[in-house]
Amino acid sequence: MGLFGSAPATLPPPKISSDGAPIAPDRTQRAKCWEGRDAYFSCLDKNNIIDSITEKDKAEKFCSGEGRKFEANCASSWVTYFKKRRVMEHQKNETLEKLRAEGAKQVPGEMAPPGSFGQRP
Amino acid sequence: MSKSIIPSRRLLTTFSQSLRNENSRSIDTQCCRLTTLRTQAQQSCQSISGRPFSTTTIRPYKTVQEQRSRYRSGPFSWKAGLLFLTSGAGLIYYFRSEKARMERKRIAEATKGVGRPKVGGPFTLTDQTGKPFTDQDMRGKYSLVYFGFSHCPDICPEELDKMAQMIDLVSTSPTRTASTPSLLPIFITCDPARDTPAVLDAYLSEFHPALIGLTGTWEQIKDICKKYRVYFSTPSGVKKGEDYLVDHSIYFYLMDPEGDFVEAIGRQHSPQQAATIILGHVNDWKK
Repeated sequence: MGLFGSAPATLPPPKISSDGAPIAPDRTQRAKCWEGRDAYFSCLDKNNIIDSITEKDKAEKFCSGEGRKFEANCASSWVTYFKKRRVMEHQKNETLEKLRAEGAKQVPGEMAPPGSFGQRP
Repeated sequence: MSKSIIPSRRLLTTFSQSLRNENSRSIDTQCCRLTTLRTQAQQSCQSISGRPFSTTTIRPYKTVQEQRSRYRSGPFSWKAGLLFLTSGAGLIYYFRSEKARMERKRIAEATKGVGRPKVGGPFTLTDQTGKPFTDQDMRGKYSLVYFGFSHCPDICPEELDKMAQMIDLVSTSPTRTASTPSLLPIFITCDPARDTPAVLDAYLSEFHPALIGLTGTWEQIKDICKKYRVYFSTPSGVKKGEDYLVDHSIYFYLMDPEGDFVEAIGRQHSPQQAATIILGHVNDWKK
């Protein structure tokens, strides 16, 4: 983005398997990507940005550094997926809050376990 | 008639002995009351009351205290209580376990298709070493089937870590016996364009060595996804190096040794809960 050519925001080329197909990110690469994602999202939280796709300019203004690190460690499809999921989860939590405020009670039973996908605060 | 009303001499002796300290006189009064009712028996009653207490009578109790405690507690003793509690607990345990077994049987039966199975069916795919793998290779073992793809951002790796825990919990369970069928963990890709056998081999080796990774042509994958009622959204003509995601159902399918679907395990189950479900079905298997 910078004039003097800052680090490129792309993933290093994937390893190629013995039959010529690129290997999916391994455990450490995934962890790196998730770290980048969490850092970026906590920056968005601080600046009250929910949707970093529609509020691209605002996100770029406040969290460009974190954003570039995020994009450098994750495949672009993953970046879009995580950004969209953040919005979806926000909406879900809002709906839950609204329902709770209206006096709805959570039915005991089988929901996703705490701390898993969909339960992130 | 009269005989049945008048207590036997021996019983009276024992009874009066037990009450000797307090009210040995009451026997006499009782006896006299009896005699007023039945004058016929007067003679014998008088002879009892007048008779000195013998020390040679057979006594079931050694001491008075023993007999009193026996009298107070009635037919209940710690032995009877213990027998009652253990048999009660045993029955409760038996009925609970039997109820759970019937529930599992009901689930397994309900999902069993008549004729053609509702979920699952014949297929031919390729495993991560490049060898063909068919539904016949699943026979004789319980299998845990999961659909996913290696370029999955977060759900599949989490689920595969869970699957690895389930495999270990099930295979090291103390309830296993020699005749218990083993569990075959299978990962089937929904993204055959990118997931070649070598890619799956590299990807799955990070999770569990027992995992079998299956791939095939787009048509083969579409066919098995249809048979397992798995939704997937892989485009058919993908260019090499293209970056995309695949939407797919995320369930573990438990299949029995005859290839019939037993139960689906979802994200809401912890590895421990899932292992309990699997072990319940596996231990039920008798054939």
